[in-house]
Parts: sequence; C-alpha cells; structure tokens
Amino acid sequence: MASKLARREAGIGYLLLAPSLFGILAFLVLPILVVIWLSLNSWDLLSPARYVGLDNFAHVFADRAFLRSLGVTLLFVLLVIPVQTALGLFAATLLSRGLPGSAFLRVIYVIPWICAPLALGVVWKWIFAPTGGALNAVLGANTAWLSDPVLALPAVAAVSIWSQVGYVTLFFMAGLAAVPDQLLDAARIDGANAWQTFWQVKLPLLRPTMFFVLVTGVISSFQAFDTIYALTPNGGPQGSTDVIATRIYAEAFQTFNLGRASVMALVLFAVLVLVTLAQQFYFRKRITYDLS
Amino acid sequence: MRHLWRRGAAAAAGVAAMALAVTACSPAAENNSSSSNSGNTTVTVRLWDEQVQKAYDTSFKQFESENPGITVKTVLEPYSTYFDKLRTDVSGGNADDIFWVSSSYFAPYADNGNLMEIGSAFDAAKSGWVPAAVDQYTRNGKLWGVPQLTDGGIADYYNKDLVAKAGVDVSNLEWNPTDPSKDTFLKAAQKLTLDANGKTADDPAFDANNIVQYGFNASQDLQAIYYNFIGSNGGAFQDGEKFVFANDQSVQAFQYIVDLINKYHVAPSAADTNDNGDFLRDQFIQGKVALFQSGTYNLKNVADGAKFDWAVAPMPAGPKGRVSVVNNIIAAGNAKTAHQDATQKVLQWLGSKDGAEFIGAEGAAVPAVTDAQGPYEKFWQNKNIDVSQFAKAAEGTTISAPVGSNYGAAANAWKPIFNEIFLGRTPVKEGLKQAQDAANAAMGK
Repeated sequence: MASKLARREAGIGYLLLAPSLFGILAFLVLPILVVIWLSLNSWDLLSPARYVGLDNFAHVFADRAFLRSLGVTLLFVLLVIPVQTALGLFAATLLSRGLPGSAFLRVIYVIPWICAPLALGVVWKWIFAPTGGALNAVLGANTAWLSDPVLALPAVAAVSIWSQVGYVTLFFMAGLAAVPDQLLDAARIDGANAWQTFWQVKLPLLRPTMFFVLVTGVISSFQAFDTIYALTPNGGPQGSTDVIATRIYAEAFQTFNLGRASVMALVLFAVLVLVTLAQQFYFRKRITYDLS
Repeated sequence: MRHLWRRGAAAAAGVAAMALAVTACSPAAENNSSSSNSGNTTVTVRLWDEQVQKAYDTSFKQFESENPGITVKTVLEPYSTYFDKLRTDVSGGNADDIFWVSSSYFAPYADNGNLMEIGSAFDAAKSGWVPAAVDQYTRNGKLWGVPQLTDGGIADYYNKDLVAKAGVDVSNLEWNPTDPSKDTFLKAAQKLTLDANGKTADDPAFDANNIVQYGFNASQDLQAIYYNFIGSNGGAFQDGEKFVFANDQSVQAFQYIVDLINKYHVAPSAADTNDNGDFLRDQFIQGKVALFQSGTYNLKNVADGAKFDWAVAPMPAGPKGRVSVVNNIIAAGNAKTAHQDATQKVLQWLGSKDGAEFIGAEGAAVPAVTDAQGPYEKFWQNKNIDVSQFAKAAEGTTISAPVGSNYGAAANAWKPIFNEIFLGRTPVKEGLKQAQDAANAAMGK
C-alpha cells in the first residue's frame, strides 16, 4: 500500500515537474547537445555539415584572435565587476536612508537596466562620436574614444557599468532592508559609529546578496555582447574590445564557421562553470548568519 | 524574494520568445500552407533600400489588383546586417519568398541550391534586362535572379555654393599618385576644406584640429571610393575569386586616399567613418562636405535632404582615366518557398516593364529593366537635375564588383585591418598585404 502511494506521489510529482522539465530539455539541454555536435562538424549554414572530429578544437586553441578575446574578456570583467559592485553598494546605502526623492532616484537608476542594451549602445555611440559627439562637445576635445585601442575597452566598460549599476543597487537595498534593527541598535549601544556599523554589521550580513550579485554579474559580464557590439563592431580597434561573445558571433554569423564558434561557446561555458564553482566555494562557509 | 520576480518574469518571457522563435524556424512550407488554402497567398519580399521599398509598395498594389488572391508584403532589413541575417534565415528556413542579393554575396546561395533558377518562364522578359546585370548573376550557366537595380557608375555630387565660393572648377579634375604637377584634384579638395578661421587646407596656418568644412568624402567605402581609385590607377582588387589588392597600383591608390584623410585633412578622420557608412552622406546633406563621390543609390537621399544647390560632376580621373565600379542588384526567389507559383508571378512582375517602372517613378533608383528607365529619367529632368554623369561612368571603362563563394567571410577578415589603414595606424603597403592574406585565407576556408 505504502509503496503504491509513494509511486503515485512520485508520478504526480513528475507530472507537476513536466512543464519546467520540458523547458529545460528543449531550451537548455538540447541546445547544449547541438552545440557539442556542431563542435565536431564543419558547417557554413548553407552546405551540409561535415564531420571533422577534433579539428575545430585544434584550430580554435591555435587561433590568436580567440586567445586574445579570452584576455579581453577577463580584462572587461575585472574593469566592470569591482566598480559596478562598489557603486551599487554605495548607491544602495545612500538610497536606503529614505531621504526625500529616494524613490524617484531609485527609478532613475534602474531605467538603463530595463532599456534594450542595443538601443543604449546606439545612443552611447552618438555620445562618444568624435565629430559632433556629446562627450567631446562637453570636454572640448577631439578624442576618438571608440577608435583608440587604449580607450575603447574602458569606454565600453563604463557604459556597461552605467547600465548595470541600478540593478545591483536594487539587490543591495533589499539586502540592507533585511538587516534586523536590533543588531543595528545593539551596535549603536556598543558605541559603533556609522563607518564601523557598515563594515562590521551590515556588510557581513549582506554576504548572501553579495554572492548573488557577484555570481550573476560575473556571468553576465563574461557573456556581454549587445552593448559592445553596438559600440564597437568588428571587435573594436585592433581587437581591443573583441570579447568572447563578439568573437563567437563573428565566427558564427560573419565568417560562417559554426563548428569553430561552437567550440568557443563550449570554452566559455567551461570557464563560467569554473568561475561560478570558485565563487561558490569561497562563499560557502561565509554565506549566512542564522538569525533565528 | 520579491526582487526575484522580475528575473522570473524575464525568464518566462525569454522562454516564450524562444518558443515563438522555434515556431518561426519551422520550415516555411508548414506555417504558410494554411494561408494558401484559405484562398489568399502572401508573398514576402526582403530588401534593404527604404526608398525602393516605398516604390515597391506602390508597385505591388497594382500587382495585387491584377492578381487577386496574392498579397505581397515588403520587409526592410538594414544593409549593415542584411547579409549576416539573410544567411541565418535561409539556413533556418525562415527567409522571405523573394529577397534582394548583391553580386558579392549571391554565389554561395546559387551553389547550394537556395535560389530559384530564372528559367524558361522568363525568356520573354530576359531580353529587356540590362545585359551587364544578367551576366553578373549568371553562374554555372544559369541566371539566379531578376535584375532590379542597376547602380550606374560613380560620380561626384557637389555643393554648388561651396564650390563657387572656393573658385574651383570641378568639371574635369585629375588625381595622380606619383606626379603632383598633374594633380588638380588634391588642390581643389584643399581649397574646399576650411577650418574654423576660414583658412583652407593648403594654407600653412590651417588648423587640422578644427575643421568645419571638408573637401571630399575620402573614406573606407568600397563602391564609392576605393574601388574607383584602384580602377583609375590601373590596379585590381580581385583576380577571379582571388584577392590581389596588395599590388603596386592598388597600394598607390589606397595611399592616396589615406593621405587625403590623414596627411592633407581634406576628409574627416576614419574614426568618424569606419563604422558609419552614412556619416559623410549626412555631412554632405548638412552642407559640410563640398564633393561627395557616390552613386545613384544616394540620389534620392541627396535630393530630399539637401537644402542647397547641388549638381553632379564626373569623378576625378586617375592616370588610367575614369574607371568606375558598376553594380546591379537582383531579386532572387527562395528555392524553398511554399508557394512557387505565386512567387514566380511576383518575380515576373518585378522583371516586367510595368512592374519595374515604379522603381524609377519617384527617382528612387535606376531599374535594371531597360524599358522601365524612362520614368526615372523623366523624374530627374522635371527636377532639373542632370544625372547623366552616372550613366556616362557606367558606359566608360568599368571595374567589376567583388565576387566569391565566401565573400562575406573575406570582407570581415579585411575590415579590421582596413580600419587601421584608414586611421593611419598601419602603413598602407604592409596592411594591404596582411589584409589580402587574411581575405584569401577566409575565402578558401
């Protein structure tokens, strides 16, 4: 009897899971399998795919443009993540004081994150334009921001930070709101000043939020594509903004080497799994304080 | 966890969008068959030119009234990503029934059986098409599309006021990469370039950091600029499908253009133009460029936009005279369309005098159907604009547009290197050699 019931329950469980399971199979597992299959084939979208074994892997790992894109991506993540996180935390601290106008500013901060990245890219392209661009007009300069191999990546990173900071701020505000008042009261009674309260009470309690913000931020920065593509097509000056995602796009949809692009996508996948595991390992012990 | 809601919603929306995309990817045969059964077939036509789209819409209204049961819709895709997207869509069975293709890109589609052959059903109309266009799109003995536009040759639009003020005669300029005494073009371009203090570019006191008016639209523009300079210097870009643009004459031609930009400052920095092919056209329309070398494809844009008097002069002659690139555009039928008959009918309409006349009626472009060119000429005559220079350039010596089974990949291989050459950061000769190797490698993948 009991086992029959258990089986029935399991059956209902699977039935309830079916819709999301279908989603995962169709839109996650299947595409991954297709990419793995593609990585072993040579395909140009028009003629039939041809099995080439590990040729694509050999070619990609010897491809200097691809290796450069790994470096560019890493540099991009290192530029974006610390600044974006620090700015988000700073803005959240100020906004959570509940000063007049905070609600309005909160909306303003989030707007760039809601907007289509490609559209933002186009607008920023106008701002950065060497002739008639807003930035040069304000600075009275003649700088070719997006054509300079040194300036292009920081410029692109700045736009990315600008568009993400509101999103990060929202999370930190939620995290700050969850900090129990009695802990803050206790800290105050113990004579902690605002600075000490922030570093020793609030920040440790924000660790789950920090974990979430860093993991999602790092993943999305590694995958950054649309803003970068809109601002600097063709990988930017001397490939200086050619991140992995734009390299994959160029390889797949401009050079029509779907097989090699798939290898690159698999490398990106592996890198992201490793980075996320590392982050999880770091935060595992430190992640929560049981306040119950 | 309220903050997670938006992500959840976004994810749900993402899944929905993907589901839609997947349905959209199913073969055209399936999702269109129902529309044929209900008695009305919709044929879609994809193109990149907004001006011609307007003309097509008028033309198809006429077609629909003569062919009840067929509806024709135009789909506009921007040129900058047109061929990237087309390939993906053709591969996914998601391309339109009819789409425009240019000579550089049509080969792989023809070779892989993606295009309808323009066979015997079109024999009656074929003789009325511009012969150069038919030649350009005949591959392996078969024609792969109905010629739609013929670009004519390349010539120079000029701002009459600016030219008059500088006291320059632009009717017969000559450029020369080796003998400055024969070069009247550079001198004219310098006279037509002004800094904020009104000094011309040949004045020692000229301030290159503060230019308010440019003489010429030197830039990385294949059709309007560098192809013609190469041709006029006796150089070549391609030999068959092999790229040979690092030859001496082509190096000289590129060097000349790059010098116009970076040494003589008669054209804006490539930082403005490398990734924005319309920058100089817009600057010309705003009255900030004196000489704008281009083709008939910009005639309507200039006529509609320019608020000053302008005219068309021949492009500057090189050591080998004026050698212009000539290009034609076809409308190709999708071989995998679900409604062959309706698509054939639309293609026949586009290749007929009646159908093609609309293209020229508002001056949008020169139809590649010879008998349909009358309204185009009349339109510009009525506007008092002499457009004969474009036709003259096409009738003179020409250099044929690039071709290749893998042209897109090759163009993407040379583009970043050309960017550096035009920015003046990579020496011309060295860069061209590098770009040529990269392009040939990409082509022969």
